Amino acid sequence: MISTTAKTTSALRARPFLGAASVVALFVALWMALVWSPPDAVMGNVVRILYVHVANAWLAYLAFVVVFLASIAYLWTKRPVFDAIAVASAEIGVLFCGLTLVLGAIWARPTWGVWWSWEPRVITTAVMFAMYVGYLLLRNLSNDLERRATRAAVLGIVLVVDVPIVHLSVTWMNALHQLPSVLRPGLDPTLDPSMLASLIAMTIAFTFLYAYLMTARVAIERRRQARILEARA
Amino acid sequence: MMLERIRLAAAREALAERGQPDGLIAAVTFVATLILVESLAVGPLAATQPEVASALFWIAMVFAAILATTRSFERELEDDAIDAVLALPGGRDALYAGKTLALTALIALIALVGGALSLLLLSLEVLLPAHLALVLVAGILALAPVVVLFVVIALRLRSRAALVPILALPVLVPQLVAATNGTAAAISGDAAAALGWAGLLLAFALVYSVLGLTIVPAALE
Repeated sequence: MISTTAKTTSALRARPFLGAASVVALFVALWMALVWSPPDAVMGNVVRILYVHVANAWLAYLAFVVVFLASIAYLWTKRPVFDAIAVASAEIGVLFCGLTLVLGAIWARPTWGVWWSWEPRVITTAVMFAMYVGYLLLRNLSNDLERRATRAAVLGIVLVVDVPIVHLSVTWMNALHQLPSVLRPGLDPTLDPSMLASLIAMTIAFTFLYAYLMTARVAIERRRQARILEARA
Repeated sequence: MMLERIRLAAAREALAERGQPDGLIAAVTFVATLILVESLAVGPLAATQPEVASALFWIAMVFAAILATTRSFERELEDDAIDAVLALPGGRDALYAGKTLALTALIALIALVGGALSLLLLSLEVLLPAHLALVLVAGILALAPVVVLFVVIALRLRSRAALVPILALPVLVPQLVAATNGTAAAISGDAAAALGWAGLLLAFALVYSVLGLTIVPAALE
C-alpha cells in the first residue's frame, strides 16, 4: 500500500519562473538562430531548421534518461512521486521525439531530396519513438496504481538501452546523416562559433521548457494519484 | 541452490509443455503458415534470395516465439500455478531463468521445423552450414530473454496479445537485423560476416539476459 498527497513543493513554486525563463530563452534563441547566425555555406537558410531539430533531439534524450532514473528510483523506494516523474518525462519525450522526426523530414526534403531515408539515425530514432509510445500504452492498460508503476518502471529501465544506440548509430554504421557535431570524442565541436552559440542557446531554452513542462505534468499526475487513492479509501 | 531452482523451473516447464503441447503445435503451425504466406506475398522468385528468405524466416520466428511464450504463461495463469512458484524463496529469479531456458529449447525446436521448411520450399543451397547453425543458435539465444521479459511485463494485462508485439518488436530490431544478415551471409558463403553477426547476437543475448535477471523479479506479481 502506498500513500500520496498532492503537496505544494518547491518545484511547483518554481513553475512561474521556469515558464518566464523558457519564454525569454526561446525568444533569444530564436533571434540567434533566425537572424544572428549566418546561413550555411552549403545548406543556406535550411540550416536554421537544425537548431530546433537538434534541441528537440536533445530533449528527447534527456527525457528518456530521466524516465530511466525515475524508474530506478521508483523500484528502489516505491515512492509514487518517481512514477509521476517517469510518466511526465515519457510523455514529453515522446512529443519531442516525434517533433524531431517531423523536423528532420522537413530538413531532409530540400537537403537529401527525400522526406524519409532508411539510414541508421532516422530508423533508430523512429524505433525509439515506437518504444516509448509502447511505454505509454502499457501505462494506460492498467488501473492499479502500484502494478502499473512497477511494470512501467521495469520497462523504463529496459528501453533506455536505445538512447546511446540512437546517438552512436551514425558512427557505427555507414550513414547519410551527418556525424555528431558537438557531442563528439574529445568534445571538439566542428561548428562555426556563432552557429555553436545559437545551438547552445536553443538547447538551453528547450531545457528550461522541459523543466517547466515537467513541473506542470508532475503536478497533474500527483493530483491524479491522490484522487485514485482517495477513491480507493 | 539457485541453479537447482532454475533447473527445476526449466524441467517443470518442459514437463508442462510435454503434457499440453498446444503451444508448440500452434507455434510450429503458425511459423509454417507465415513462411508460406510471406513467400507467396513477395513472390516465390524474390523469396529465394538469401536476404529475403532469412528476413521472412526470422520475422516468422519472432512471432512464433511470442506466441509460444505467451501460451506458456497463460497456462500458468489458468491453473494459478504461477502464484505457487512466486511464493517460493528465490522463485522469481528461478521462474525467469527457468522459463527462458525452457523456451529457448522450445524456440529451437520451432526454428528447426521452420528452417527445414524454408530450405525445402525455397530450394535454398546453404554454402556454410556450420555458420548457419551458429547464427541460428545465437539468434535463438538472443530472442528468448527479450520475449520472456516482455511477456512478464504484460502479464495479467488486458490486450496483452497486442501489447507484447508492440513492446517487443522495436527492442528486437537489432536481433532481427543481425539474425537476418547473419543467416543470409551463411547461406551465400560470407564466413566473416556470418561470424560477426553471430557475435553481435551473442552480445545482445548477454545484455538482455543480465537485464532480465536483474529487473524481471520486480515485475513479477
